[in-house]
Amino acid sequence: MRPAVAQYYPGDSVIHRLDPRAKFVAVTALAITLFVRDSFAGLAVFAAAGVAAYALSGVPAAWFWRAFRPLLWLVGLTFLAQVLFAPGEPFFSFWIFDLSWEALQFAAFLSLRLVVLVLIGSVLTLTTPPLALTDGLAWLGRPLRKLRVPTDELALMVTIALRFIPTLLVELDQIMRAQRARGADFGSGGPVRRARALVPVLTPLFVLSFRRADELALAMEARCYRPGIVRTRLHPLRAGVRDAVLLLLTAAVIAVGLLV
Amino acid sequence: MNEARGMTLVCRGLDFSYEEGDVPIPALRDIGFDLGAGRSLALLGASGSGKSTLLQVIKGLDRPEAGEVLLDGAGPDDVSGRELRRQVGLVFQTPELQLFAASAREDVAFGPRRLGWSEATVTAAVDEALQLVNLPPEEFGGRHPYALSGGEQRRLALAGVLAMRPRLLLLDEPFVSLDPATRHELARILSRLRAGGVTLVLATHDVDLAWALCDQLLVLDEGRVAAAGAWELSESGRRVLAASRLREPFLVELWRRLGRDPAEAPRTVAEAAEALS
Repeated sequence: MRPAVAQYYPGDSVIHRLDPRAKFVAVTALAITLFVRDSFAGLAVFAAAGVAAYALSGVPAAWFWRAFRPLLWLVGLTFLAQVLFAPGEPFFSFWIFDLSWEALQFAAFLSLRLVVLVLIGSVLTLTTPPLALTDGLAWLGRPLRKLRVPTDELALMVTIALRFIPTLLVELDQIMRAQRARGADFGSGGPVRRARALVPVLTPLFVLSFRRADELALAMEARCYRPGIVRTRLHPLRAGVRDAVLLLLTAAVIAVGLLV
Repeated sequence: MNEARGMTLVCRGLDFSYEEGDVPIPALRDIGFDLGAGRSLALLGASGSGKSTLLQVIKGLDRPEAGEVLLDGAGPDDVSGRELRRQVGLVFQTPELQLFAASAREDVAFGPRRLGWSEATVTAAVDEALQLVNLPPEEFGGRHPYALSGGEQRRLALAGVLAMRPRLLLLDEPFVSLDPATRHELARILSRLRAGGVTLVLATHDVDLAWALCDQLLVLDEGRVAAAGAWELSESGRRVLAASRLREPFLVELWRRLGRDPAEAPRTVAEAAEALS
């Protein structure tokens, strides 16, 4: 299977073993400061922190690269747009485009910032199983329960949705093949014709999904699931010294990044 | 359907792999066999042995990495290859999952319309196909597919393929999760198709129905041919079947235990009763 954007890579590194809540808080804090800080020196500090965390995670470079590659065009597009349209003293002009050192610098800064942001964010998703991530988010969202936001139920919905995406993709492929065997053509004609061609695929897929949702709900009730009550967990999230160290280190990186 | 004559099917050295990340997982290795026009082949093998993959390669949904599928002697790149591939019907495992139209008649008409037939021809083909699977069009044609029973849905999905008047029919585990009565009704339908001259390839775990319906067999083991050709009813044939978690057909075992020649074992219980009385 081809990894989707920075998909979880199973492992047992220090970074993997960190509490998802601590990781989420650290990454969010770093991302916010990254946007506040606008100097190359600050960017270098965050980049160094990201590279260090990535190196500790033990995720193979090939895995990371394959997930990152599709984002390259976004980075390239950002760079191009800024180079061509940011203001500055032009040293070279062509048609409606002016090229200036200021614009070049600004574009380089913006695209590098995007790369560092993706790197830091990837360390979180590469080393945290989606389930642990939603668990952590549910915990962090607990104060919202006072406002009657059903955070645990929302987390469960996200978890179930994530769980069934691969299943749905397999079924989608099967149904498309079956309709193609009956002469369906998904690749030709205008947009209207293409949309109509999807009816024989989407109808069975929806019917199948509703049926499965029904069965899943029954199975959950049969195992005594009730919404709205507090459940204990098989693997309770446990923050430790490691996580305190992570948050301290993050604070230090942010301080250095803001000061240099 | 009566005038539809079977197609010959020849596979030569078929290789096919799935991509798992960048790692190719071999699914078919050097598959070769011949099937004459109007003959029927039982495709046997444990789950994951490559049966479904082989059917999809024959239909042309997947292109083999090596080797070729010859339909009536024509390869995929021959002028007639495209047209001939259209005359191959593939019934997927649990095909009722692909029903989508608002009425049984409309669903069956989906395939024939894609063939660009006139509306009169489509109507005739739909009626004929519904009749063939014992869903009389006057009674079932207007019913909603999802309002039918599981067995009726399975037969309706089969009708959707039969309406395209295939000359070679590929079936992937058609008997799975059917009750015994429906299973035998489906077997009778397939038997009628076979008598009508359609070439059949039947992937199944049910050796008794395979024995009743098929002239020859192809046993796959991890993507390779473990046995091919006529039913091998000797000791070694039994070992091949056992290695794929299958047993010999009940009627063959009966004949062997009665001390008779298993090669002359009857295909159906009715034939057995006649031979024994």
